[in-house]
Amino acid sequence: MPETLLLQARAGDRQAFATLVKNHQGSVFSIGLRMLNRRDAAEDLAQDVFLQLYRKLDTIESLQHLGFWLRRVAANLAIDWLRRVPYSATQSLDEGTDVIAPETDGDPLMSRELARLLGELAPHPRAVMLLRYQEDRDVAEIAAMLDMPVNTVKSHIKRSLTALRGRMIGARLIDCEDLS
Amino acid sequence: MTEEIENELRRRLRPVDAPEGFADRVMRALPADVKPAAVVTLPAPRRTWARHFGMPAALAASLLAAVFLGQYVAEQRELRAEREGLEASRELMQALRLTSDKLDLAYQAVQSPPPVDPEENRS
Repeated sequence: MPETLLLQARAGDRQAFATLVKNHQGSVFSIGLRMLNRRDAAEDLAQDVFLQLYRKLDTIESLQHLGFWLRRVAANLAIDWLRRVPYSATQSLDEGTDVIAPETDGDPLMSRELARLLGELAPHPRAVMLLRYQEDRDVAEIAAMLDMPVNTVKSHIKRSLTALRGRMIGARLIDCEDLS
Repeated sequence: MTEEIENELRRRLRPVDAPEGFADRVMRALPADVKPAAVVTLPAPRRTWARHFGMPAALAASLLAAVFLGQYVAEQRELRAEREGLEASRELMQALRLTSDKLDLAYQAVQSPPPVDPEENRS
């Protein structure tokens, strides 16, 4: 049935396309938000991704391919955006921007610090971390999405986790004893 | 510890909702006159006279040209062989004629009596 939705959208059914947008907007918007740390920029980026999708619908072969394509385009557009506006790469979060999923049982300070620390990563490692931990993609898929070797993806993940751990210890979000 | 951070990241980095009305804004931004790029089937090229008969005609013409050329070459070769044969025959006749003349001379020389030596008669 969902594959039918894709076929209908390809045939020009705008309602079917709107449903596809609704099904994937959260994922695409979240990649934009956590990459760019700005809600307005994230919304522009997500809109751009879906407009590109509309023009390229004929190249989408399946819903699985659609998910891959949307994440790939969103991540790469965000990396390009950060290259053009390098200041934002190290810019702190907008006031009131909640880039972390609302948690009822989590520590809000921890959430905010995690988002800040993630925002301090360079664009490529940041995209790798988001695709790995937000989108739950495997290493090979991330490598294909970002056009980089699998070993580079692995190394980005390892180095980013080490950096995050170091910064969390520095920010006293975790104890040094936890390392043992 | 790394596993703990990974779990924390997975928990905290769940996708968030897009802003209210996002899909509607996307739909309004879609170009009205452009349909999604559907798979375009190009019309089959029209089979014009040249396209329809061109290839067989070209093949037939090539075949005819090859046959005529072959015939011409064979005829030329035959003529050349005939000319060479006549020439050889002429040369052979010439050689035979010369040989015959020389043999005639030799025969006459042998048949005619040798001249008498006057000194020999005196003794």
